[in-house]
Amino acid sequence: MPVAHNLSRTAAIVGAAESNEIGFTPERGLRITSLQHHIEAIKNVCDYTGIPISDIDGIFSAGWSSELAEHLGLKPNYIDTTSVGGCSFQIHVHHALAAIAAGIIDVALVSHGEAGRSYRGQGGRGGGGRGEVSPGELATAAYGTFGAPSQYAHAMVRHMHEYGTTPEDFAHVAVVTRQWAMLNPRAVMFSKETDPNGGPITVEDVQNGPMIAWPMTISHCCLVCDHGGAVIVARPEIAHSLRSQPVWIAGAGESMSHSNIVEMVDFTATSAAQSSRIAYEMAGLGPQDMDMAMIYDSFTITAAITAEMLGLAPRGKGHTLWKEGHAAPGGDLPINTNGGGLSFNHSGMYGMQLLVEAYRQLSGTAEDGVNGIEGKQTSASTCVVNGTGGTLSTTGTLVLEAN
Amino acid sequence: MAYNKPIPRKGQHHEPFWEGAKQGKLMVPRCKDCGRVHWYPRLICPYCHSTNLGWTQASGEGTLYTFAVQHRAFGGWGEEAPYVTAYVDLLEGDRMMTVLRGVDPSRPQDIQIGSKVRVEFEKVDDDTFIPFWRVVEE
Repeated sequence: MPVAHNLSRTAAIVGAAESNEIGFTPERGLRITSLQHHIEAIKNVCDYTGIPISDIDGIFSAGWSSELAEHLGLKPNYIDTTSVGGCSFQIHVHHALAAIAAGIIDVALVSHGEAGRSYRGQGGRGGGGRGEVSPGELATAAYGTFGAPSQYAHAMVRHMHEYGTTPEDFAHVAVVTRQWAMLNPRAVMFSKETDPNGGPITVEDVQNGPMIAWPMTISHCCLVCDHGGAVIVARPEIAHSLRSQPVWIAGAGESMSHSNIVEMVDFTATSAAQSSRIAYEMAGLGPQDMDMAMIYDSFTITAAITAEMLGLAPRGKGHTLWKEGHAAPGGDLPINTNGGGLSFNHSGMYGMQLLVEAYRQLSGTAEDGVNGIEGKQTSASTCVVNGTGGTLSTTGTLVLEAN
Repeated sequence: MAYNKPIPRKGQHHEPFWEGAKQGKLMVPRCKDCGRVHWYPRLICPYCHSTNLGWTQASGEGTLYTFAVQHRAFGGWGEEAPYVTAYVDLLEGDRMMTVLRGVDPSRPQDIQIGSKVRVEFEKVDDDTFIPFWRVVEE
């Protein structure tokens, strides 16, 4: 195999933004489409960076790229519609990095809009039935699972069996993540004012909630919200010329272990071990060098297992990062500083929210009064970002570095 | 009572599975070159990439790999909730999903990973029988 050209730091995330109204928007009397979330976020990130929309020459989204390019009147030179679940956006940044390093494009737009709450149960866009029968259907269709929580619970039970962990251990992930949400006014669970279930919670609160799929009560599960977000990735010459701070892509990697969870060999291990190894190697950094982490928390178990895969904790000990307060506000390894998919916002594919917050933290803009109040901004200059898609199926890892 | 839960559509190349199920036999795909069993059915062996595939009758025995108790369910399953879903490791290799029989969903702490399980078939209609797994005594 030829040695790949090292792509480390050959592009930067130069800005990140969200759509205007996110979260539980129907409760506020709004009805915003996924497309509107995309367009607002794109407009906002271009305003933030000062990059004209017309300068975008590469477009990356989870299935929307041709529609977005048309809507924006763009004729891009690179079109990527990778749609492999919530990690798609980490993977888009990886692909954008490669496309920029190869000299194909200069300015890549990564965008996501998802009215996950407003249009819940009405079907997503970009998929569509094929009429053909996937052989995987034979393996799962008869057996009474309904969406992600029903499947992820199997992973928690296996983790409990192998490592002696308890549901209470994982409840700490929800409790600490809520503490971060209470520093983010845009978080659904910021306070009792933003949602009746908002504000501080205890392990007992988490465990006493309605059971969804034992051992997971509802607070072990992410929210279902509306959200739009966009980031721009650009080559160094452009990154240095902007009014916005660049955040450097030191490393990137992606992988997958399965599509259908029936094919997952070890329910306590994901391909994040592989995608992060590639990303760390590219960066020339390791887990011990990470000041903070943004980890997809579709469920408490997802975050705990992923922390283990990223090398931030030994196998079986991922939950201790939260339980012992390392991940909490003021801790030595802040994790999910936006309040996570558990308490900030999860629209269905949450990887964009991870990217936006990682950018804000490393650009020193996490405490802007709108998306963060005093205590939210960390001193981190490195951050590992890991998205997980499907049913613990696909992963994308980024190692990001402040300017 | 008529079977009121989702039934997998019968895809191409899966006839031996459905024919076996009618006779109470668990038929699984097996590569004729490397000899390994794989589940679900493939057009190519996922291990050695041979297309020389066939079917073999599995023993119908396995062990419990992991499980969960489903409290939130809809349709026919909604009427049965809570119930236990599980993954079982086949004696012949690879893994199947099931709704687990012979366990008490109100006492998940009593369900033992590693327990022996055996397959049984539930009738949907004269042509359609679906395998489920049951925890059995050692």
